[in-house]
Amino acid sequence: MKRREFLRDVAIGSLVLNLGTKQSLFGQAAQPPDLAWVEGDSPAAITRAAVDLLGGMKRFVRRGDKVCLKPNIGWDRTPELAACTNPEVVKTLVELCLAAGAKEVIVTDNSTNQANRTFLRSGIQAAAKEAGAKVLLPSPFRMKKMALGGEWLKDWEVYLDVSEADKIINVPIAKHHSLARVTLGMKNWLGAVGGARNQLHQKLDQAEVDLARFFKPTLTVLDAYRMLVRNGPQGGRLSDTKLQKTVVAGVDYVAVEAAGATLFGIKPEELPFIKLAADRKAGRLDLEKLKIEKRTV
Amino acid sequence: MRILSQIFFFGLFAYLFSKTHFTGQDYISPVERYFHFDPLLGLVTSIAGRVFFASFALAGITVALTVLLGRVACGWVCPLGGVHQFFSFIFKKAKLHRPKSASAGPLKLKYYILIFILAAALLGLDLAGYADPLSFLYRSFAVSIFPVLAGAASALIGLLYKLKLTGLGGTIGQFFESLSLNSTFQQGFFIGLVFLAAALLNLVRERFWCRVLCPAGALLGLLSLGNVFKLKINTQKCIDCGLCNLQCQTQASPFPDEEWKGHECVYCFTCGAVCPTAAIGFPAWKRAPRREPRVSLERRKLIWTPIAALLVAPFFRLTPAGKRPSASLIRPPGARPEPQFLSKCIKCGECLKACPTNGLQPVLVEAGPEGLWTPKLVPLLGYCEYYCSLCSQVCPSGAIQELRIEDKIKVKIGTAWVNKNHCLPYALGKPCIVCEEHCPTSPKAIKLVETQVRLPDGTVSTQKAPVVDYELCIGCGICENKCPVVDSPAIYCTSIGEQRSETNRLLLELLKTDSGPY
Repeated sequence: MKRREFLRDVAIGSLVLNLGTKQSLFGQAAQPPDLAWVEGDSPAAITRAAVDLLGGMKRFVRRGDKVCLKPNIGWDRTPELAACTNPEVVKTLVELCLAAGAKEVIVTDNSTNQANRTFLRSGIQAAAKEAGAKVLLPSPFRMKKMALGGEWLKDWEVYLDVSEADKIINVPIAKHHSLARVTLGMKNWLGAVGGARNQLHQKLDQAEVDLARFFKPTLTVLDAYRMLVRNGPQGGRLSDTKLQKTVVAGVDYVAVEAAGATLFGIKPEELPFIKLAADRKAGRLDLEKLKIEKRTV
Repeated sequence: MRILSQIFFFGLFAYLFSKTHFTGQDYISPVERYFHFDPLLGLVTSIAGRVFFASFALAGITVALTVLLGRVACGWVCPLGGVHQFFSFIFKKAKLHRPKSASAGPLKLKYYILIFILAAALLGLDLAGYADPLSFLYRSFAVSIFPVLAGAASALIGLLYKLKLTGLGGTIGQFFESLSLNSTFQQGFFIGLVFLAAALLNLVRERFWCRVLCPAGALLGLLSLGNVFKLKINTQKCIDCGLCNLQCQTQASPFPDEEWKGHECVYCFTCGAVCPTAAIGFPAWKRAPRREPRVSLERRKLIWTPIAALLVAPFFRLTPAGKRPSASLIRPPGARPEPQFLSKCIKCGECLKACPTNGLQPVLVEAGPEGLWTPKLVPLLGYCEYYCSLCSQVCPSGAIQELRIEDKIKVKIGTAWVNKNHCLPYALGKPCIVCEEHCPTSPKAIKLVETQVRLPDGTVSTQKAPVVDYELCIGCGICENKCPVVDSPAIYCTSIGEQRSETNRLLLELLKTDSGPY
């Protein structure tokens, strides 16, 4: 057996096992939906409602877990410009994780602009700390090259503070992007790696999928409270954003991705990275066949 | 007491130094205030720049203090003086230096240096920054000493991680990350060597810099008219041992007291401390008959020094730098037009320290000899952060005009250009768009156009490729900094189009509105 095949099999195998345990977990209760899709005026309330619809944070976080929340804190922009994840969404998730018994909640991102600027101006540092999270500035000492077992990305520098957590929760924001068209959850993993990330754009779709399959988030909470609809990925003017007041959450990150695409009026299968992820059985993009709970709070 | 004062003021200096970075606020307190108490910088910058910068009014306090009390600022306040005295102390303790009597001749050198600098200032040449103690110390700290400390800290953190002490390493690491230390400087080694040389001069004479070189000390010496506290030797107690003269840190020759040089004395009281019979005191208002004139300079040299300075000014400008703008000389946002900028910049390094991306670097040759160690943006090393105007806020001499953030984001400091021969989409037919993604303006100054490239195997690749909108580009250089072609970026910034210059322009404004042919 070739090394590549072995790694792929291990990846698929572990994914299957992973899914297996989850099913047995909520087997006794009523089947939670595949996706929770909540709209409302308060970012905190819709986030809380979305997690509740999925069965509550206790379903994802066990007592004593070290949880890493990975929002997008990439840009030196204030929250209303929708370049970074909404701080209220992050804060609510920190609270939910701690309430579910998490030992420690880490909030971090290997940002694009200067981290101590983006962490501050995005409002995420203050919000997460207030809720009791440990906010870590990315450090070159925490990047380590390791095998990813991806189809295209064999190995890359991984941000250890993310990869070493017991549970990883992806908290991306829905944004326009001129190469990928839109960026949602899978693109957010580029902020959980180091190295020459700008070279990943040469095969961005493959990189996104390989990274998503490596990090395997326990939960994905897509922030579309205010989405960035043009001039992405950092916008710059209020007119570049659109108030969507929505949060979509789910265990199947491909399904979340597919739902996110529709927010931009794009069919999921039109986006190569979603198609690729579904083809590799990372999740499902056939929204019409999924159980989706929609709520307005 | 004096040492405490020196430690306090050095501490203050170091504190303000360490505060000069992004602290989480768009606007930071005047961490550059120290410089405004320096009469030399105030004087030279006002003469060379032909305008009085109001903050330098504070130097009046130093002047008044010196007129009344003599050079107490040198002995009690100046942080570089403290550093030199510290080195002298160490060298003496280590028996590397033994004070010996020396001729008083070299003491006059600093007055000639001062006259030289002032004469050059008349021609708009600002040389104060190279020799001013505050500029010298700040620059050395910003460009060399702190980067060395940061490197050492980084090595320590690395070691802790190697030893699996991740908790401790993480804590220290987070602390250093939050300081945003700039650790990479072109000429860091060179400027460090200059500092080292100045420190080693203390082996030749105690406080060699203060005795022989310091033009700020010379200016204060000339101003020290009153000297309320005058040295007085109790002749009954004095045993003529000569220790005071030998140990005097600035060669002010305390013995005999009528030959005491008030303009050299920095009131360190070493003489009083070493006197075996405690015969030396500084009573107030006691007039001692004086044989030594206040400052005696030779008339011939007095005439020749300014003449030499007049010749040196054109000598400093023998380069084409003034004739033609240099492409790589991207000045920080808010920088005055080049001639004014040069006449005001005191090369202190405040802006280099404040720049959050480490993009501001000391210039070597691009601005001509008079532009040595002035700041320029090197996008390869760091870009100009969009919502940041720290460099303009910390500039002590007004060479960089203070900008509000909302004004700063509109200032064009240069222009980005695509090198299609290196660009991934244009040259290799690969997708990229990294520059466009990072462009901070809205709408973006980098647009993407579909481009067809014929690949080596004859097939055609269609890719989105970058095109720069000259009107929107502000020259921040993030595109160059983030370009995956790391050695020679496929998009790079040059200074052309910089708003501050009337000559370094490209597109004529009138072409925009003029629609008809004539």
